[in-house]
Amino acid sequence: MDDNRFDELIRDLPRSFNAPPEPPLDEMWTTIEDAHFNAPVPISTRRGLASRAPWLVAAAALVVGVGIGHYLPSGAKPAETAPSPSAIGENPASPTSDTSAVADVYRDQTNRYLGQAAALLISLPAKDANGRTDAAFATRATDLLVTTRLLIDSPAAAQDPRLHSLLEDLELVLVQIARLRSEKNKSDLDLIHQAVEQGDVLSRLNSAVATTQSSE
Amino acid sequence: MPVSNLTENGRDQDQRQLQHHVNETQLIALVISGDRLAGRTLYDTHAPRVYSLAYRLSGDAEKAREFTQDTFIRAFSRLSQFRGDAAFSTWLHRIVVTVVSNARRSELRMAREVELDEAHSIEVTAPEAEPDLKECISRAVDNLSEAYRMTLIMHDIEGYTHAEIAGLLGVPEGTCKSRLSAARAQLRQELAAFKE
Repeated sequence: MDDNRFDELIRDLPRSFNAPPEPPLDEMWTTIEDAHFNAPVPISTRRGLASRAPWLVAAAALVVGVGIGHYLPSGAKPAETAPSPSAIGENPASPTSDTSAVADVYRDQTNRYLGQAAALLISLPAKDANGRTDAAFATRATDLLVTTRLLIDSPAAAQDPRLHSLLEDLELVLVQIARLRSEKNKSDLDLIHQAVEQGDVLSRLNSAVATTQSSE
Repeated sequence: MPVSNLTENGRDQDQRQLQHHVNETQLIALVISGDRLAGRTLYDTHAPRVYSLAYRLSGDAEKAREFTQDTFIRAFSRLSQFRGDAAFSTWLHRIVVTVVSNARRSELRMAREVELDEAHSIEVTAPEAEPDLKECISRAVDNLSEAYRMTLIMHDIEGYTHAEIAGLLGVPEGTCKSRLSAARAQLRQELAAFKE
């Protein structure tokens, strides 16, 4: 085979070697769309928080545990201990009924609040994603902050030092998350994580749980 | 505009509008935010070339389809890592080259194992018919080492420049040129015996 013939073969390669058929664009897109746009949140993303900010997961778990397990007065049997509205109406002057009714309201509020705080902490990214995310977290934290302060000042928290301490810890975290809203502190998630770690929040939460358990 | 609201007939028109008003960087940002229409637009722009390269390298329609799908699924899931230092097409083609290379390495390893197994059995096989020129070229290209084969296909068949191939394969441009030269020399040697 001479040079000219070989050069001719090389030039003809685009037509002679593996000439591609028309690409099945729609078929391929269906698979890509299903895999990418219809897929659930990747496992790695869900694991990300646990690996990058384990204290947050632990803190959230503690918050839920403490809230549900130890701060719900007569929570195991509310129907037996809480007076019915009709019972309260029959004897409005009864101090026992008043206390139970207040405890019920307080328990429900605390329960709802702890759930919301846990949800916020669990969903808080370890790294700054974007301004919009920060603003959304800041807004939720600000709302929770109002409730936190109301609960801290409530008579029930005043009578329960463990709950009071936990609420103060949460207040600290929420204040810092709420500050993400301001432009100056927009990318300060790392600093929040550091501050919580340096403030030994996790150990204090652990301690609160241990104290509660040992007092039972 | 949420894609779920689009009808099939209106999609093409919406895509054209999107392509007209949005540049590629904005398109990528939209895909990251979960916009399917932007994803489809980005896909339609690049998929034909990606599929073509995948087919040339694999020589199999089903594999080319799998490689193309895999390339876009990987690319979309890593879009947030695309920094725009190189063109998006370069970034995307780097992924398809990696996908195909990994698959071929795995295939070649399996083929070697099968050959070793078959070497133990003695069989009398009928002599093969004389191959035609097209078949000879195909075999000669497939007999090249992976680096030579890829360089030859990308340059002489798919029309990439040496600079592009160097960028995609992560080698200096000089290496790319010498690989092409060596690939052509080997091809010529293999085809020398062919009588037309």
